[in-house]
Amino acid sequence: MDLAKEMTKEQAVLDSLKSSYNHAVADSFGSTSSKSLVNLESLELPTTKVEYWKYTRTGQIANKDWKFGDLDSVDLPENLPVAKHRMVFVNGHFDSKRSTLPEVEGLSILPFSKSKVEDSIALSEEDIFRAWNTAMPQDGYVISLAKKKVIEDPLQMVFLYSGKNTIAQPRSFIEIAENSELKISEFHIHTTGSLAFANAHSEVIVGDNAHLKVDIVQHGSEKGFHLHEIFGEQGKNCTYTQNTFTLSGNWTRNNTTFRLTDEHSECNLYGFYIPNLKEHIDNHTIIDHEKPNCVSNELYRGVLLDKSTGVFNGKVFVRQDAQKTNAFQSNGNIVVSDTATMNSKPELEIYADDVKCSHGSTTGQLDDEAVFYLMARGLSKESARKLLINAFAEDVLEKLVNEELREIIEDTIHTKLA
Amino acid sequence: MLKIKDLHASVEGKEILKGLSLEVKPGEIHAIMGPNGSGKSTLASVLAGNEDFEVTSGSVDFLGDDLLELGPDERSHKGVFLAFQYPVEIPGVSNINFLKAAINERREALGEEPITAKEFLQRVKEKASLVELDNKLTNRSVNEGFSGGEKKRNEIFQMAMLEPKLAILDETDSGLDIDALRIVANGVNQLRSEDRSFVVVTHYQRLLDHIVPDFVHVLYDGKIVKTGGKDLALELEEKGYDWIKREASAVTA
Repeated sequence: MDLAKEMTKEQAVLDSLKSSYNHAVADSFGSTSSKSLVNLESLELPTTKVEYWKYTRTGQIANKDWKFGDLDSVDLPENLPVAKHRMVFVNGHFDSKRSTLPEVEGLSILPFSKSKVEDSIALSEEDIFRAWNTAMPQDGYVISLAKKKVIEDPLQMVFLYSGKNTIAQPRSFIEIAENSELKISEFHIHTTGSLAFANAHSEVIVGDNAHLKVDIVQHGSEKGFHLHEIFGEQGKNCTYTQNTFTLSGNWTRNNTTFRLTDEHSECNLYGFYIPNLKEHIDNHTIIDHEKPNCVSNELYRGVLLDKSTGVFNGKVFVRQDAQKTNAFQSNGNIVVSDTATMNSKPELEIYADDVKCSHGSTTGQLDDEAVFYLMARGLSKESARKLLINAFAEDVLEKLVNEELREIIEDTIHTKLA
Repeated sequence: MLKIKDLHASVEGKEILKGLSLEVKPGEIHAIMGPNGSGKSTLASVLAGNEDFEVTSGSVDFLGDDLLELGPDERSHKGVFLAFQYPVEIPGVSNINFLKAAINERREALGEEPITAKEFLQRVKEKASLVELDNKLTNRSVNEGFSGGEKKRNEIFQMAMLEPKLAILDETDSGLDIDALRIVANGVNQLRSEDRSFVVVTHYQRLLDHIVPDFVHVLYDGKIVKTGGKDLALELEEKGYDWIKREASAVTA
């Protein structure tokens, strides 16, 4: 009986999504979408019995009557840095009026529905969220950069979410060709008081000798849900760097999966999160070393306040062929209040024998001795705490690609600590 | 300047200070000596406001203020400075930036204008040379990777920067070789003035060859059991603490 009830839940969500879907799927993507719809007949929402979802509940998502939203008039955040290239999306709709896309030779930027994307590198039969997005994708960005093109200014991608029981499913895709370089500043902002479920999925292909650097700033709402999956593949001699700053949000889940499919490449995943109240933040990463001589670096740091909960699960695979792999992973947390919880699980699976891998996880409280030391020199308790937490965050902040984002992030840290 | 009356303090329910009284006048140097576990460091910590220690009774008056009512930061603003026995390493927090913040928070508390960048840098240069502290060390993270001697020199450097009225040195000599000891003592001596007092907590007489005290107090079992001039330190060095313990026990009995 229970099982039947669960099934109807997923069916109910799907029916509600189907009835309100108001987007045009690009012709090229049509058959991929159709396949996902079929897959959805049998996919279930994960429960905490599934290892990948052990600490993050999806029940609240299943209980809501989600409907696709409109291109609402939502204000852009005031502190958004000036940008040459800007795309704005509201509830999964491309907001052409507030986007600026000057023509640059070799750089193509389109909303997903206008693109020629055909297929997905992530398999939709494995995951219900991915399948929802693939079956009913909305607009995200599709960027392709030609060989040898170097774009200095970061492209700014702003995703806004608003409304009540609004689902948004932006779909994005980046492919940068050989010897090219690109930087992206991505914002995901849920408006205050909104109840939206952002089910955002991106795919990334980094060509040989190419370099892609991405900063992501996430600002959820006190009620909303935010899921962001990034799936990537890297070629030879290339670098991918991603910095994820989760500044707020009732429920946030980030899945980042990268495959290193050729030699001498580097994958850097960094993240910082500072949940307060009852916020829940979950970062899952997978880095798959398939070929020799690649490097991966992961550093995730969190400050947990009030009754918040945090999850980190980082998995590194080193395949049999991937000799001379250098994989470093670290997750550090400061649990500021007695009622906050952190679940951290670094995982290594190594099948090669000549590799250098390290992983570590630390979770502790703010160092009382250090607080006293600073106070004995004249700093107030609040200043001492801020100074220590800033220093802790700095190891991730210093990775920022676009330094202009620093102020936005530091402001949030300070507000949350006040 | 400082009047401690019948001070009782405990840590984790165990009484360490058992009725300690002490008066320090402006410009004086008081040495507190005593065997291990007598309560020397507890006294230093209590005066600086460490919350791990609970004051159960007694009073501490500092220039007319009830010191025990003030937080560690407020005590610092009033002019109390503790040189830590074990200075804390704080990765990622720059020595210089935190000192500037500390000076400015004090200035704000006293209703003064913040220090100018020029004035601050000048003071850093001047005070760092006082304890022969390398420029590189002043810019590094607080005490991170410092040697024992560098940490103690950094304490005296910070003291010089903050210009306290009352400086408490908690076993500043422990772990120092003779050269480092001389540098530290020299720094302290240069900071001596008519309106600045020192409470020097030490286990060994050696430091008092270099920082000459006006008074030497012997702390035993949470109380000051003997007070004398600088010669008392020499006597203790020669005879050890056993005779003090016997004397103290005899009085109690």
